Amino acid sequence: MSQNHKDFTPVSELTYNQAVSELDSILRMMQSDQCDIDRLTAYTRRASELLRECRSRLTATDEELRGILADLTENV
Amino acid sequence: MNLSAYADDDSVSRPVGLTALTAAITRRLSVPELQNVWLTAELSDVNVRGGHCYMELLEKNPSSGQPVAKARAVIWANYFTRINAEFRAATGQPFTSGMKVMLRGSVSFHSLYGLSIVVSAVNPAYTMGDLEQRRREILMRLKREGVLELNRSLTCPTVPLRIAVVSAPTAAGFGDFANQLFTHPSHLRFTCRLFPAVMQGEQAPGSIMAALDAIAGEYDLWDCAVIIRGGGASSDLAAFDNYDLASHIAQFPLPVIVGIGHERDVTVLDYVANMRVKTPTAAAEWLIARGTEALGRLQFIASSMLQSLTDRIAGCRSQLAHYSAMLPMAPTNAIARCDSRLRQATMTLAGIGGRRIAPELTRLTHKAEAIKVAADNLIARQKDRLNNREGLIDAYSPMATLRRGYSITSVDGHALTSVNDLTTGRTITTTLADGTITSSITNIHVTES
Repeated sequence: MSQNHKDFTPVSELTYNQAVSELDSILRMMQSDQCDIDRLTAYTRRASELLRECRSRLTATDEELRGILADLTENV
Repeated sequence: MNLSAYADDDSVSRPVGLTALTAAITRRLSVPELQNVWLTAELSDVNVRGGHCYMELLEKNPSSGQPVAKARAVIWANYFTRINAEFRAATGQPFTSGMKVMLRGSVSFHSLYGLSIVVSAVNPAYTMGDLEQRRREILMRLKREGVLELNRSLTCPTVPLRIAVVSAPTAAGFGDFANQLFTHPSHLRFTCRLFPAVMQGEQAPGSIMAALDAIAGEYDLWDCAVIIRGGGASSDLAAFDNYDLASHIAQFPLPVIVGIGHERDVTVLDYVANMRVKTPTAAAEWLIARGTEALGRLQFIASSMLQSLTDRIAGCRSQLAHYSAMLPMAPTNAIARCDSRLRQATMTLAGIGGRRIAPELTRLTHKAEAIKVAADNLIARQKDRLNNREGLIDAYSPMATLRRGYSITSVDGHALTSVNDLTTGRTITTTLADGTITSSITNIHVTES
């Protein structure tokens, strides 16, 4: 895991587009024959971290959304 | 006043009342040239009171824009309801100041209110053509100025989530928009703030521009600006066919999405904005579609990744399975292979041996026989020769020499050929043909050579 952190930029520092293109390149790498089995776990962990981050940037919880909507309608 | 000035005028002694005069005017107006004529004019000061529509008709100098003719006009309530409905159905707009219209009217003169034109019909096609013409002129101008495509050519962020909304705060449109955004099952994380603006009437363009300026002041906080206007209310779109507003939107630093009308209503804003949608709800749907598309892409990446991971591991596993199945058999197979190679070699060797040795053996057999024959022959020949030479041997034998008087002297069994090795006193043996003499050496004399 520490190895993981050393090699990769923390996901919070990436823009959404950077995160998605890193996901793309990990996927391409996994699909290629050059994929190093030893790094597979690290890459998979990284990919799931990126995916989680991207999803959470796009989506909010029900509660958050209800809060925002309440704020908005109050202001109107 | 000196009345005598009019002394020669008969009428001065019989003045008419004003009513009589206006009645005379009214009578004079009842000619075909002034009744039910189609005329074109520009509207001004449109005002609906008690169901009647009052307005000013203008004609302007096309180059200076200064009015060159002006007349009051009215559409009575009994006509106005129908005319207004037809006009709005065709043009999507009510009667508005600044609009060019073609109408059928009769000139009338009221004793109290003076001259006015009473309108009985309007041709909306003329107004539509005029609006279209105006729209085209604005677009041409924006194109000449090189700004027409600016906003349209901005790249909207992949997932616009931070939305600055320009709308009337009370309009149902904004409520619809926000509701749509924040209750969608995709749970997209939108941020949204309302920049209130007047969305109809003559103040609309200025008010919208002010709201846009407020957004531009903090444009790094927003992904796009959305200008929306709820339906249902008056569909007064003429205000949006405005050069200043269109130019403002065209040069706006963020992509602008407009949703201010309905299907058939098109304004110049629709041509300059980055994205045009029909309604506030449609604007929200468009934004949500961008978001769900991105979520779908993430989903696709995730499942592709899972698939290739599974494939990869399954591949490795089956490779290992292959090896582990092969390994125990490998040594046995290797031994079997070596064994069979040896066997092969042996057989090859044997074959070669057989082919080479057999002829050799035959040759040897032949040779052995030949040797035997040759030996027999040799022996026979030698036997013959021996037989032939027996006499000669006798003739050359020492016995014959001895018999002729010669003798052999020897010491210790060795025949003597020299006196060199002898000493006096030694015993020597002399052999003759018929016996031997033993003597002792008394004197040794060496012959001088």
